[in-house]
Amino acid sequence: MPEIGIVLSTVVSGVLLGGMLALTALGLSIVLGVMRLVNLAHGDFLVVGAYAGFFFLKFTGVDPLVGLPVIALLLAALAVPLYHFLLAPLSTRGPEAQMMTMFAVSIILENVFVLAFSADTRTIERDYATLPLTFGSMTVPLIYVIGFSIAVALILMVHWLISRSGFGRDLRASSADAQAAEMLGVDVKRVQMLSFALGAACAGVGGTLIGAAFQFGPSSGGAYLLNSLAIVVLGGLGNVLGTLAGGLALGFLQSIGGLVLGDGYRDLVGMALFLLVLAFRPDGFLARARS
Amino acid sequence: MNAIDAPLLEVRGIVKRYGGLVAIDHVDLQLWPGTITGVIGPNGAGKSTLIGLIGGAVPPSEGTIRLDGRDVSRLPASERARAGIGRTYQIPRPFLDMTVEENLEVAQYSIEPFIRASLAREQRAVLLARTGLADVARLPARALPLLRRKRLEIARALALKPRIILLDEVGAGLVDNEITELIALIRSIADPRSAIVIVEHVLRVVRECCERSMVLNFGKKLIEGPTAEIFANDQVAAVYLGTGGVREPAGRGPPTEAAAAQNVVHVMGPAAERRVMSPLIAPTAAEGAGAPLLELEGICAGYGQARVLRGVDLTIGEGQVIAILGANGAGKTTLARVISGAIVPTSGVLRIAGEDVLGQPPHSIARLGIAHCMEGRRIFSTLSVQENLLVAARNADASAAGERLGAVYDLFPVLAERRDHGGTSMSGGQQQMLAIGRALMARPRLIIFDEISLGLAPVIMDKLYEALAVLKQAGMTLIIIEQDVDRALALADHAYVLEHGVFGLSGPPSKIAADPRLRHIYIGTAD
Amino acid sequence: MKTHSGLAEVGVLCGAFVLLWFAPVIADDYALQIAFRVLIYLSLAESWNLLAGSAGLVSLGTSCFVGLGAYVAFGLLNSLDMPLPLVLVCCALAGGALAALVSPALFRLRGLYFTVGTLALAELLRLTMVNVSAFGGASGIFLRQDPPPLPELFHYALVVALIASLSITACARTRVSVILRAVRDDEDAAAQMGVRPYRVKLGAFVLASALCAIAGGVQATKLGAIEPYGMFGLQWSIDVLAMVIIGGVGLRLGPLVGALLVVALGEALADYPEAHIAIAGVILIVLIRFAPRGVVGVVASLSSMMRRRAPA
Repeated sequence: MPEIGIVLSTVVSGVLLGGMLALTALGLSIVLGVMRLVNLAHGDFLVVGAYAGFFFLKFTGVDPLVGLPVIALLLAALAVPLYHFLLAPLSTRGPEAQMMTMFAVSIILENVFVLAFSADTRTIERDYATLPLTFGSMTVPLIYVIGFSIAVALILMVHWLISRSGFGRDLRASSADAQAAEMLGVDVKRVQMLSFALGAACAGVGGTLIGAAFQFGPSSGGAYLLNSLAIVVLGGLGNVLGTLAGGLALGFLQSIGGLVLGDGYRDLVGMALFLLVLAFRPDGFLARARS
Repeated sequence: MNAIDAPLLEVRGIVKRYGGLVAIDHVDLQLWPGTITGVIGPNGAGKSTLIGLIGGAVPPSEGTIRLDGRDVSRLPASERARAGIGRTYQIPRPFLDMTVEENLEVAQYSIEPFIRASLAREQRAVLLARTGLADVARLPARALPLLRRKRLEIARALALKPRIILLDEVGAGLVDNEITELIALIRSIADPRSAIVIVEHVLRVVRECCERSMVLNFGKKLIEGPTAEIFANDQVAAVYLGTGGVREPAGRGPPTEAAAAQNVVHVMGPAAERRVMSPLIAPTAAEGAGAPLLELEGICAGYGQARVLRGVDLTIGEGQVIAILGANGAGKTTLARVISGAIVPTSGVLRIAGEDVLGQPPHSIARLGIAHCMEGRRIFSTLSVQENLLVAARNADASAAGERLGAVYDLFPVLAERRDHGGTSMSGGQQQMLAIGRALMARPRLIIFDEISLGLAPVIMDKLYEALAVLKQAGMTLIIIEQDVDRALALADHAYVLEHGVFGLSGPPSKIAADPRLRHIYIGTAD
Repeated sequence: MKTHSGLAEVGVLCGAFVLLWFAPVIADDYALQIAFRVLIYLSLAESWNLLAGSAGLVSLGTSCFVGLGAYVAFGLLNSLDMPLPLVLVCCALAGGALAALVSPALFRLRGLYFTVGTLALAELLRLTMVNVSAFGGASGIFLRQDPPPLPELFHYALVVALIASLSITACARTRVSVILRAVRDDEDAAAQMGVRPYRVKLGAFVLASALCAIAGGVQATKLGAIEPYGMFGLQWSIDVLAMVIIGGVGLRLGPLVGALLVVALGEALADYPEAHIAIAGVILIVLIRFAPRGVVGVVASLSSMMRRRAPA
């Protein structure tokens, strides 16, 4: 049994990482809820955010965390034409058409990454990123704490947006019954476009945070897609705070798994958990219906 | 024990709970072979739940169900079907992409997987002839109009060679001559060895088919007995039958508890009504004041191959109340959807206050002041009552929205009580009120009410039409699309009858009501 | 009881089988390689179509069973020295067994969730294989014996493809077809008609998985060496989906046309390794947008259009 300091550090790091993953998963959840679309390019949006942060630092010398709003806008700007030209025309067909289109986008993106940035893995280098933060016997990297704080703040903002604002109402109405919402005057296409852009922005910002903490490369997207799926299922579809809880839970359990079984088993634990939750509570662990 | 003396189906102490809600509360029921039994009751009484419990789609929380002495309570729906319980769905659910014949094959091959193909074909032919579907055997189910789909539902259930047949609101959505056909069909499938249960709101079906009936209220059996006695019972009248659209004279006496609980519409004087309703009524536009509010000229529209509307002309001015009647498949809902923009007509002119709006998407037309209270209500289940209302307040800032909300709550106090509850957590009648309130929140110039009485108990319909009367008094322009001819004609200034895709007849309600040609089709002994 | 068209189809398939059996006599190695790929892809696409077109289950988990078949095949060949036909039967059994094992959980998921669940399952198996060193871990395992010669492998692939195609024919042209379509269209109404949806879905899933496993076993035997990323990688699931979309979902000739086109595309773009994936992506997007019924659908519409135009 490793000493208590290491256990605590690992577990807390896991939870902090889980918070960052929750932010990225939020993007997937929104799109899934409003458009019934499993965005198979979601992981690649994340990687776009990571590359954006990397090059932002490289060309401006400014800390990418400061540049997060710019990165968010960049992703949103990417997402809007994607929606308008590729997804909107397919909205009358079944979910497979849009899903496959996003898969095609995913493989195109990965190929573009390789062509443009080479297949090297890289990471966003900031001195403080690796600074350890020590509380008693526990040590966590500073970047985790910063990333976690930013992620949670953004998640709470999105939660407020969806549950309290007019746009949030329109979003929830569109996801409950798009036809009826249209008849009531909601411009459903516009809501979907904005939701897609919001989802992409969340993925991108999360990607920047993760890119500062870990290495990434052109094909890193796939693993994060599955992670996000797991979190969405854990937290319940369309449930913003649930996504946060799901992310924290996943991070926690992954770190335990790594501790107990060995580092290579982290992802395995995540997938196994995912399947268990799917098997027993397909609506998500924390899903709550309104009625 | 003599086999004829044992009940075919025995339901004892059946209970169904959904969390804290008790949908069916210790109900007993016995069915004897050769009988047809009716089950009636207000919305939310549990009638469909009861069908689900017997048919197997809903597992019971407590109690037993015995078929021919055999305990089937824990069997899933597929096993009950194989044991001989056949059911139809309230909204027909044929396998749309399969032909009529194939729909029957599914049942046949489930119970007799190795039946000889020629024998199966013979049996199908007999069934199709009995249910009047022989001429459409090769058509995909998708192509069938409503009455035919209901016939298919019955044929499919019969293909199971059932001992018990459960008919769930088969009469809904049909007009009078179709109901006559339906009653004839039901009588023809009655069999001395099987039992039929009919859950219905269309009382004529119950009266003419069922010797015995049972009344459910709040999940409990209120009373059971010969149908004629049930219909004459005072308690049943108070709880369910309502006034049938005829206003009771003022000295009615103290309202019964049930009636008081449903007294959900404020009745006020005309001036007061106008004042309360003013946040919800759009001001008359200065320009275009000469132009009628809505104009349709030569509208042709349909779905895919089917031409539904073949040249409809309609002009509506401000403050008018129009009734649109017609048989199923005549195109009433299609017309409503053309006006709100959900369907683009293939030809014709559509003008709102003089402005040509053909081809505009539904949300743009909604913003021009056309509100559509949709068939089936379409309440957002993930939003609260208040949020459902607020979604519809498009062009209002916070304070205007608040005013409108207040006016809607004045009209329907029950919505105010439940403002933070989920939109679909209320009974059917209350959801309909929410749908009407939602339409009002947009401060529309014109509201289309599409079959608001569908599936609702008569006493609730009374209340809803009182609300519509308030709207009329306040000067709102209304289009009422209805199966319930009496109520619609009582309220309207002008009526149109849609027949074969055009307005076959139009005129003041008295003229329509008296026209002998239509009396045969639309006005009859329906309640 | 097969209808006339069903018997005709069986005849065509068997006839094609017999003809192709003698292909190695006249074809060179390169052609056989291509043909092998097409046949394996065809088997996978047919099994996918069986699941989705008939029972309504859209699966992204093909890789799961392909990989399983591969590892089972190597395990048996390496340790027990079984003859290959027997090994392949065991692969089928393994695939079917895994399908039966996970179906109680998987079938509780409807629609989108089912698809996501299959994806997760594939990934789970891959991660397990990477981590468990008994199965060779990340570097995989080698086949101890030499792989059989190409013509023989070609014959095996031909047999697998025949079995897959005959299975589809059996499901689409017999009374099983209405039952499958009923489950696909409306599971609850089907249950009310006496159909047991769980059993139907299980049957389709087990059959499809067994087919994928056999295909995986044959493919692995040809490769001679396997590792988790290749055999359990998402690539299989995605390739199958691409094939079916290009060919036409649910259409009888879809898988064949799709397999042919995907393999042809791969060969044509082999000269542009860097951009070839991106180009494939663009082609997919265009097809999805403008030819939703796939190539077969386009051809079908064109031919009916021409028939209408032709003078009587």
